[in-house]
Amino acid sequence: MTEPIIEITNVHKRFGHVEALKGVDLTVMEGEVIVIIGPSGSGKSTLLRCINRLEEYEKGSIVVDGIPLDTNQNINAVRREVGMVFQSFNLFAHLTVMQNLMLAQTTVRKRSKEEAEKNAKELLEKVGIPEKAQSYPSQLSGGQQQRVAIARALAMNPRVMLFDEPTSALDPEMIKEVLDVMAALAKEGMTMLVVSHEMGFARAAAHRVIFMDEGQIVEEAPPDVFFVNPTQERTRLFLSKILHL
Amino acid sequence: MEQQEKNAPDRELSFVTGGEVNIRQDPWWWLVIAVIAIIVLLVMVAPVPFKEIVVFARSGILVTVLVTVSSYFLMLILGLFGGLGRLSKNKLIFGISSLYVEIVRGIPLLVQLIAWYFASPVAIQKIGVWLNFAPLIEYRANPILTAIIAITVCYGAYMSEIVRSGIQSIPKGQMEAARSLGMSHFQAMRYVVLPQAFRVILPPMGNEFIALLKDSSLVSVVAVADITRKGREFMSAHFNPIETWLMVALLYLVLTLFAARIVSYIEKRSRHDR
Ligand SMILES: Nc1ncnc2c1ncn2[C@@H]1O[C@H](COP(=O)(O)OP(=O)(O)O)[C@@H](O)[C@H]1O
Ligand SMILES: [Mg+2]
Repeated sequence: MTEPIIEITNVHKRFGHVEALKGVDLTVMEGEVIVIIGPSGSGKSTLLRCINRLEEYEKGSIVVDGIPLDTNQNINAVRREVGMVFQSFNLFAHLTVMQNLMLAQTTVRKRSKEEAEKNAKELLEKVGIPEKAQSYPSQLSGGQQQRVAIARALAMNPRVMLFDEPTSALDPEMIKEVLDVMAALAKEGMTMLVVSHEMGFARAAAHRVIFMDEGQIVEEAPPDVFFVNPTQERTRLFLSKILHL
Repeated sequence: MEQQEKNAPDRELSFVTGGEVNIRQDPWWWLVIAVIAIIVLLVMVAPVPFKEIVVFARSGILVTVLVTVSSYFLMLILGLFGGLGRLSKNKLIFGISSLYVEIVRGIPLLVQLIAWYFASPVAIQKIGVWLNFAPLIEYRANPILTAIIAITVCYGAYMSEIVRSGIQSIPKGQMEAARSLGMSHFQAMRYVVLPQAFRVILPPMGNEFIALLKDSSLVSVVAVADITRKGREFMSAHFNPIETWLMVALLYLVLTLFAARIVSYIEKRSRHDR
C-alpha cells in the first residue's frame, strides 16, 4: 500500500437534471480494499462506472495506474487494467463458462488459445467450480455465475477490481461462496472497490469504508472506526437503518 | 451417417429431441411430399396440358429461385447495415438509415419494382445526356438485375427493423461486460451482441425468406420470366386458365413448403446448439 493507483479528482456527473456525482475526490492506494456504502441512488454505481468509463463524466479527472481517462486509446488501456463485476453477473449467455473466460483473453490480450485455456482452468479452480467449464451460464446457480464473472474479470490480470453490489441479486445461501472468493482475492493483495452492504465482509476485508450520499463522499474511515464511531449524523442514521435490518 | 451422429456424445441430445431433416421428427415433410406427388400424378395422368406447363415453366422456376435467393442474401447484408445504422450514435448515419427505412416501408413493393424498371433507366439516360457519356445514354435496364435490386432495397428496410429490434433485445449488460473487459465496440458487437441477436432474429429471418419467395411473383410485371410470367404466357397461348394456375400454384407451394421445412430445421438446430 504504497502508491496511489486510482486518483479521482472533483468528478461531476449528471443524467439530465439528476446530479449523480457532485464533486467526488478519492485516492485509492495499491492493494487497498475499499467498501462503499450508501442509500440507493447516492451515486455508488455511477462512481464505479466512471472509473472504467462505462459512464462519461462532465468535470474532474480520473487517473488509473498513471493513465488519464481521456483518449479512446487510454480508455481501452484502463479497461484492460480494471476488472468489473456486476450485480446481474452479465455472463455472455451464448458462450460456455470456458468460452466466457477465454474470449477477452484472445481478442483483447491476444493470448493463444492454449494459454487462455490454461489460465481459464486455473481461475475456475480458484473460484471453486472447475467442473462447470463446459456449462452455459443459464445452467448455473446465481452464486456460481457470479464466481465465473469474477474469474472472467481476473483472466485479464487486472490491477484493480470493481464490484457493484456483487451479492445483491443472490439468494442468501449463495452470498457466502461469493464473499469467500472476494475475501481470498483481498488477502492476495488485489486492489478492490466494492459497493456492498455486507457488513461482515467490510469488517473483515476492508481497509477503508466510504459512505456516499447524494452524489458525495460524506465520510470515510477504517471499518473499526467507521462502524463504532461515525462522525457524521447522516452516516449514523444510515448505519442504524442497515444494521437493524 | 446416422451411426456417426450417434457416436458423438454431444450431438446425441439434439438427435433425440428433434431438429433433423427427418420425416419422423418433422411430419410436415409429408405435406411437401404430398404436393410433389400431386404434381407428378397430374403430369403422368394428363401430360397435356400439365406436363407441357411444367416443361414450359421450367426456366421460370430457375428464375424465381435465382431472384429469391440472390435478393435474400443481399437484403440480409443491407438489413444488417440498416439495423446497425438505426442504432448508431452518429446522427448522420442514424438519419440516413431511418429515412431509408421509413420511406421504403411506405411504398408498395409493386410500385417500387415498376419505378426501378421504368423510371430508373430514364433517369440514368438523362444523367448520361447531361454528362454526355455514351454508356449511360444507351443504358437499358436488365430486368432480372433490376428486380433483384428493387426487392433487395425493399426487403432490406424491413430487415433493418428486424435487426434493430433483435440487437435491442439483448440486455445492455452484455455490451457493458464486454467493454469492461477491454473489448472495442466492434469486438463486443462481433463476438457478444450479434451472435445473441442472431438467434433472436432467426425466426423472423426465415419468415422473410418465405414472404420474399412469394413476393418474387411480382417481378413478372417487369418483364422477368419467372414462374408467374411463364404461367401467363402459357395461358394466353393455350387458353386453359384452370390447369395453368393450378400448376403454377402447386409449383409455388412446393417451393414455399420446402423452404418452410428448411427454416424450421435451421431454427431447431440453432436452439439445440445454444
Ligand atoms: N443511465 C441513467 N440514466 C439516468 N439516470 C441515471 C442513470 N444511471 C443512474 N442514474 C441516476 O443517478 C443517480 C445515481 O445512481 P446510481 O449511481 O445508480 O446510484 P446507486 O448505485 O448508489 O444506487 C440516481 O438518481 C439514478 O436515478
Ligand atoms: Mg447501484
